[in-house]
Amino acid sequence: MKMADGSTILRRNRPGTKAKNFNGWPDEPFEEMDSTLAVQQYIQQQIRKEPSNIELILTPPESQDEGVWKYEHLRQFCMELNGLAVRLQGECLPENCTQMTATEQWIFLCAAHKTPKECPAIDYTRHTLDGAACLLNSNKYFPSRVSIKDSSVTKLGSVCRRVYRIFSHAYFHHRNIFDEFENETFLCRRFTHFITKYNLMSKDNLIVPIVEGDAVGSGESEA
Amino acid sequence: MKIPVPCGGTTMEESSPSQNLNGQIGPCGGGINTGIKQSDESNQRIQYSIPGILHFIQHEWARFEMERTQWELDRAELQARIAFLQGERKGQENLKNDLVRRIKMLEYALKQERAKYHKLKYGTDLNQGDMKHPGFEEAVPETNTESEAPFSSVSNFTWKQGRQMLRQYLQEIGYTDTIIDVRSNRVRTLLGLNNNEEGPGSGGVNGNETGNKRASDSQGRRTPAKKAQPSNLVEAMMLDTEAAVMANFEFLSGADVDMEDEDGLEDDIDESGEVSDETIRPSSAAKRKANKALMLHEADDVDAEAEEVLNELNLLTQAEVPGGMTQGDPQDWIISTGSGAYSADSSKRGGGDDQVDSTLGLGELAQLTVNNEAEPAYDLPTTKESLRKTWSAKYTLRSHFDGVRALAFHPADPVLITASEDHTLKLWNLHKTVPAKKSASLDVEPLYTFRGHTGPVLCLTMSSSGEQCYSAATDGAIHAWAIPSFPLDPYDSYESSVLATKLTGHTDSVWRLVCHPQREHLLSSSADGTLKLWSTRTNSLVHTYSSEQDGIPTSCDFVRDESDKMVAAFTSGHCVVFDLETGKPVTRLESTQDIAVPEVGRHIYRAVCHPLLPITMTAHEDRHIRFYDNNTGEAVHSMVAHLDAVTSLAVDPNGLYLLSGSHDCSIRLWNLDSKTCVQEITAHRKKFDESIFDVAFHPTRPFIASAGADGLAKVLRLDPMLAPSQ
Repeated sequence: MKMADGSTILRRNRPGTKAKNFNGWPDEPFEEMDSTLAVQQYIQQQIRKEPSNIELILTPPESQDEGVWKYEHLRQFCMELNGLAVRLQGECLPENCTQMTATEQWIFLCAAHKTPKECPAIDYTRHTLDGAACLLNSNKYFPSRVSIKDSSVTKLGSVCRRVYRIFSHAYFHHRNIFDEFENETFLCRRFTHFITKYNLMSKDNLIVPIVEGDAVGSGESEA
Repeated sequence: MKIPVPCGGTTMEESSPSQNLNGQIGPCGGGINTGIKQSDESNQRIQYSIPGILHFIQHEWARFEMERTQWELDRAELQARIAFLQGERKGQENLKNDLVRRIKMLEYALKQERAKYHKLKYGTDLNQGDMKHPGFEEAVPETNTESEAPFSSVSNFTWKQGRQMLRQYLQEIGYTDTIIDVRSNRVRTLLGLNNNEEGPGSGGVNGNETGNKRASDSQGRRTPAKKAQPSNLVEAMMLDTEAAVMANFEFLSGADVDMEDEDGLEDDIDESGEVSDETIRPSSAAKRKANKALMLHEADDVDAEAEEVLNELNLLTQAEVPGGMTQGDPQDWIISTGSGAYSADSSKRGGGDDQVDSTLGLGELAQLTVNNEAEPAYDLPTTKESLRKTWSAKYTLRSHFDGVRALAFHPADPVLITASEDHTLKLWNLHKTVPAKKSASLDVEPLYTFRGHTGPVLCLTMSSSGEQCYSAATDGAIHAWAIPSFPLDPYDSYESSVLATKLTGHTDSVWRLVCHPQREHLLSSSADGTLKLWSTRTNSLVHTYSSEQDGIPTSCDFVRDESDKMVAAFTSGHCVVFDLETGKPVTRLESTQDIAVPEVGRHIYRAVCHPLLPITMTAHEDRHIRFYDNNTGEAVHSMVAHLDAVTSLAVDPNGLYLLSGSHDCSIRLWNLDSKTCVQEITAHRKKFDESIFDVAFHPTRPFIASAGADGLAKVLRLDPMLAPSQ
């Protein structure tokens, strides 16, 4: 171990690292990741490599436990959704978006409260993300990141359903923000793909149109 | 262990007389035979032999005897325990009385002050000069004297009575020295920090040597201050005693203090001293002395109380204290007046000012006790011991999706903010667990999530007022947040005003932010090669610093003992002290030592300054922590501190302990004096090759925290068993 230190790569962001070099280390093969956070490491590594290659990102390594794989992906989605929430904070004001809506068909009630409440869209977004963070980090449902109980895996579906509404609200009410964000992160496309692949939501609810196979710049082509 | 031994002893004794009996009865068994007809008859029926019966009876008798003695022993044991508990209760009562007395006194002082204030405000006859402090001070202590003198003497009297009773009681029971020893130990733990004043005394009973050693070893600054008075008092009398009784002298000084204390609790130790023959003379001497000292004490008491009042009024001028008290006296009176000492103790036990606060309902007064405790209490041995062993994991803060890069405690409240690579900051109240719908465990849920950064948040700092915090991310913008006021509903509506402002100027990742402890200044170091000083009042840039030859700054800190300087660490592996005004480098902190792996090995993860001394400590990739003298720039000390890169350092507010975190997954607590590791805790898991990013001390409460790449933050606190709280 000590001998090898000179030659092996230490994957670290040392203080003083420039932003462009942040996480800028060579890839580590999944087999060599011995940490309990290997799956997260692997997913983030794949995303960093090519965020638009959704197929590759969603392909689990061999013999990967599917529950953990879905769980870690959902964590990553919620984390990246912070980026969308930050952008929305500037524009999605409680005065303008008094309710969480996508199409006019539904008004979504915020489940973070004791009795579901008609929160303004930005609050709904924040509360949903906070609630998801609490649930996904809950010691009760997800005490381990290496193995996950089947009963807890079923919780992922409801998180997905709520979180998806953030995409749909942004798409139908803050299109410019959505497009800008989507072009950078391909997050909605990845999420839709993820949902479909693991059948976490009914297809009827996937209301944000996604063009399959169009890798870059599909955001603008939608109308 | 002790019970079986005496038991064995008694059975042996019991059995030998029975054998004697046996011997006597045996030969003349036939003669006695007629006397025991019943047994004879039964013997005939079931064919018992006389010797057999006799043997059986003897055996039974021995057994009963044995049991009886055992019961007696047990009874004695229990009686001892009852006495012990009663004594304890007595002690508690005394303690309570003391506190009540103190509260009354403070209330009285407050009333006086209010009256005074009222008079000054509405009365017309008083001129400006009277408003000044001196008049103020003199008036208050005076009134205090009147009110306090009878009160304390009464309580003294009852104490003495109680003491006498206890003493008699103990003698009746026949307390052994060991029990007293155990007792004094109990009392010590009971009193927590405070009873080190008993240390020498109780040590005097059995282990004079060890007691003294402990006291002198660990008591630190306090010992000399304490000794000064009693030794002066007793010195003349003790001159004729042999040198061999030096240890006793120590004890005596302890006892003397006790006598002056008029403290029922410590009396047991006095008492034990008298019981043990070797100390009779000195302690009687002490008594005589104490009688004389009583008057002194009376005066002392008044002085002390006067001082307390002065403290309360936030007047720190020693010179104005009546009776010409010296610098050492504040510590002295805490020892020599039970009230002062106990209140300090109790506030410590309360785990801060919470308890006192709630009982008194007087913020300022609570503050006072904390202040009193602050200086002397920290030197106490028990604090040291408890710091040595008893930091234990208390809370795990789980809510971040990715590694936690930085954390900062609120200056006063048990509130922590964490900053993570998941682009968010979260605020946690360690005392307020969210109405847990899920589990009863000590999981804390975040009360607020700060969203605003668009990249991994790398650093965080809290202003000394606790009203703002500043964070910065890979995008180079520094965000100033107004910390939302409590109580907080985690699912409240969005307040855009929480993000107060952004400080823009850096063009690359900002890796370190520090708030100036006194001024309204913020220092940042960025990967763009510069350090910037910001005014937090105007939120504007004040100055920019850089060092061409050293490269990119990696960490920075304000020099604490000279408020116009700061120290910055660079990728070159060196630290530079800058003058904040001129922006010029003042000193370079260079290590003459060879560094194993020159390129990466010398990389400095963190540079922090000692809160009191001109010392800078640096954490290095090559597993070292290095210490530099800020004035000379020389390396003072260097040590291999961890098994992997040292990533973070924090010094406790008193400058006695250093906390370090490392990528080896552990945090370590170091005694800054001896540079030895006091405790190691494995805290976090690895993500890639990173593990722990930050560690912190709570400025005023017994909490430490660590932040890990595994997305968790952990809070440890002093074990409440040994560090008195609650």
